[in-house]
Amino acid sequence: MKDLVRILIAPLVWLAAFSAVYGLHGVICGFAVDGTVFGLSLARVLLVTAYVLAILVQVVLLWALYQDRFSSASVFVNFVGRASGWVGVIAAVWTMLPAVLTTYCG
Amino acid sequence: MNVVTRHRRLDAIWASERGFRGWFSTVNHTDLGRMFLVTSFFFFIIGGILAMLIRAQLATPDSAFAGPDIYNQIFTMHGTIMMFLFAIPAFEGLAIYLLPKILGTRDLAFPRLTAYGYWCYVFGGSMLLVAMLLGIAPDSGWFMYTPLSNAIYSPGINTDFWLIGITFVEISAIAAAAEICVSILKFRAPGMTLAKMPIFAWYALVTALMILTGFPPLILGSILLEVERAFGFPFFQVELGGDSLLWQHLFWLFGHPEVYIIFLPAAGIVSTVLPVMCRTTLIGYGWIVAAIVALAFLSFGLWVHHMFTTGIPHMGLAFFSAASTLVAVPTAVQLFAWIGTMWKGRPELHLPMLHIMGFFATFVIGGLTGVMVAMVPFNWQVHDTAFITAHLHYVLFGGFVFPVFAGIYYWLPHVSGRKRFFRLGEFAFWLIFVGFHVTFFAMHWVGLLGQRRRIDTYTPEDGWTLINLISSVGSFVLSIGIAMVLLDVILHVLSSRKIRRNPWQAGTLDWAMMTPPPSYNFASLPHVDSRHPLADNPALPVRLAQGHGYLGTPRADWRETLMVDAATGRPEAHVIYPANTRLPILMSAVTGIFFLGLLLKTYWMVPIGMVGVAGLALRWVWMLGRRDDLGAQHVGQGVILPHASATDRSPGWWGSLFLMFANATLFGCLLFGFAFLWTVAPGWPPLVRFEPSFIELGVGVAAALGTALALRVAMAAVRNARATLPALGIALTGAVVFGACCAVMLWRAPPPVDHAYAATLFVLGSYGLFHAVLIVLMTGHLIARVWQGYTSPARRSEFAVVSLWGDYVAVIGSLVLLVGHLSGLSL
Repeated sequence: MKDLVRILIAPLVWLAAFSAVYGLHGVICGFAVDGTVFGLSLARVLLVTAYVLAILVQVVLLWALYQDRFSSASVFVNFVGRASGWVGVIAAVWTMLPAVLTTYCG
Repeated sequence: MNVVTRHRRLDAIWASERGFRGWFSTVNHTDLGRMFLVTSFFFFIIGGILAMLIRAQLATPDSAFAGPDIYNQIFTMHGTIMMFLFAIPAFEGLAIYLLPKILGTRDLAFPRLTAYGYWCYVFGGSMLLVAMLLGIAPDSGWFMYTPLSNAIYSPGINTDFWLIGITFVEISAIAAAAEICVSILKFRAPGMTLAKMPIFAWYALVTALMILTGFPPLILGSILLEVERAFGFPFFQVELGGDSLLWQHLFWLFGHPEVYIIFLPAAGIVSTVLPVMCRTTLIGYGWIVAAIVALAFLSFGLWVHHMFTTGIPHMGLAFFSAASTLVAVPTAVQLFAWIGTMWKGRPELHLPMLHIMGFFATFVIGGLTGVMVAMVPFNWQVHDTAFITAHLHYVLFGGFVFPVFAGIYYWLPHVSGRKRFFRLGEFAFWLIFVGFHVTFFAMHWVGLLGQRRRIDTYTPEDGWTLINLISSVGSFVLSIGIAMVLLDVILHVLSSRKIRRNPWQAGTLDWAMMTPPPSYNFASLPHVDSRHPLADNPALPVRLAQGHGYLGTPRADWRETLMVDAATGRPEAHVIYPANTRLPILMSAVTGIFFLGLLLKTYWMVPIGMVGVAGLALRWVWMLGRRDDLGAQHVGQGVILPHASATDRSPGWWGSLFLMFANATLFGCLLFGFAFLWTVAPGWPPLVRFEPSFIELGVGVAAALGTALALRVAMAAVRNARATLPALGIALTGAVVFGACCAVMLWRAPPPVDHAYAATLFVLGSYGLFHAVLIVLMTGHLIARVWQGYTSPARRSEFAVVSLWGDYVAVIGSLVLLVGHLSGLSL
């Protein structure tokens, strides 16, 4: 089962993060969260923070997948696990990029 | 023991009853796989006939062929049958037939569950067919969108047939998915590591995991909508705190992954058949595995792209548009791997290869129009037009039907042991290919000109007449082609010549047996050292038939196989399957009583069905017990293994784990629905809330946690041969107290018909209560087992199963009570 976890963990965490950021966006719009922090919109700060956190978690996971400590005895499992680790990083950067770029409740 | 004697003894142990009576009692995966496939193609023909009726209606303007009421039923049933009664069951049938053979074992993990799933599929599908014959079929489209499908706008029984029939059929899908996961991970040939698994097994594993994640949202949505229709709980009624968009979210949380659930097994066929047709091996095995894992996860981040026109804020649209474009990448990885495989090999244009080429051409076009509709501005223009209908047919027909036909022609010699004699198949392929593209290319065109989907007619002034006529002519050519495939298969079965083993010179284990396959698959189980065991060792079939593998000597009347470690394929335990029984068909019939009671509003039948299912389920597990310890068994090759019941990780534990995974997804969707309504729906927070009680909350959570703890203590006690009844008694008491806390929550909550808040609380409380009853039954079963002398340290696996469910109920039970009580606080 640990080998399956190595393969599935990064995209699973991406899915959780993606859902969480979408949920956060829903809460911000649903409850009309406004106000400012350091002159920046609170909603934007929250969304960008969540975006950056999602990427950081994926980078940490990818780093861990390359460490001997967390590696499998199977070369194949390490390869697929690391490939899906890269999928997690790319998916986090690309799919949540709108948190930085677009209007949030328009 | 010589080869013939071994064959006779194994066949006597494993074979189904002779004649048609065997259909009702068989638990053999080969028989059930064939039955699944034949039934799914029966539904495919019905769905195809409905498609011809649709095209007959649209062939000319102002058509009077069918009135709008009947037309609504026709297109709803076409979509419903093709998605739920053909595509998914066809995958299940292929996986059930093929997986044990390709994995080098004798059957799937839970043979009786295979049969139960099949009969649920047959009975649920029959409900929908009966509705169609009576002219009361579902008529709100296969998405069943609210508010159109609610009791106000669709007051008849039509929609109920869909909600209840499909939920009944989905039991089959969930059962098959859990079984496929356990079978692939734990029931492989010894030595078959994850890296040596045939590529089809990876596809099937990922697809099954997707079914376990993707189907629960729809099951939940169907339950909520049926409860709303039957009892007036307003989950989707905006004036009472509901929201029709919640249905769309739940439906498409299922609906978009469903596209990949259909595509991935078909891609698995391509990855299996293509290298054989090209006389080579698959390029990029590891990349493909990574790609299908990526595809599976990304597909769960796309569902909102079906909802781009519902007024979602720009950022929400952009999230899902970005994810929709990204999903093209892992799909392209597979396509390039297939192109590379063809480049590396020497392609031979046999009939399966023709269908694979048809798949390439069609699916790539469907994928490209998919990227087009992932773009929000373009999506807004073509939403709900015939362009979308054309796109989805390019994806689903191209991505599923062509590969399935490739698979049929590839494995037909395996199923029949015969070689094709007539050459109708090639002619049929070209009719299908040309007919399909004429039909649906024209549909893209007319969609871009503005034709809405699901319209029953149009006027000559719309300017769509010629295009629709061309499309209809194409569809009839396509239908003739499919009819010729069926004729070809029938002629093959009736009149072809016998073949030698492995006619395609394939390297996988499915061809390392007699054809048609014997009831037991392998006379002895192979030890696998490579990804292409048959190609690397052509003498393997003979050696297995001579009994040189594992379990080569039949013992008593045992249906024996091995469980292995999921990662390494190291043999772990000895498994004895149950024999033929009519229990699965009986239990699915009793399950049908439950659903029929709901459908016909004869609610007195519902508790009868529930008690019947519970009683038969207890009988089901009771039959597996023994009063004596089996002890370790010699399984051949010098290996001695314990029986699976002497371990904590028995097949039942693994099956429960995957079932729990689906269950947790359903529960998660319920919490999501609650949060969605609270956040988005108008009329929240509700005026009247549940009055929280920290005493009830504390007692309920403590009882749920205490139950789990007591079950763990019981598990430790049985392992160490100590008394288990005290701990089991505490667990039983805990479950009763937890159930009582859920019941009190239901009793004290505001009336569920007043507001979506109270309705959701009612469902949450019922979910908790249902699981409390489940734990009471399970613990009661264990107590009866101990009482009757069925348990010992070497017969302890059921304790681990019940303990696992106890852990689950502790988590969800605590959450149910926390959410229920905390939601009543006014902050």
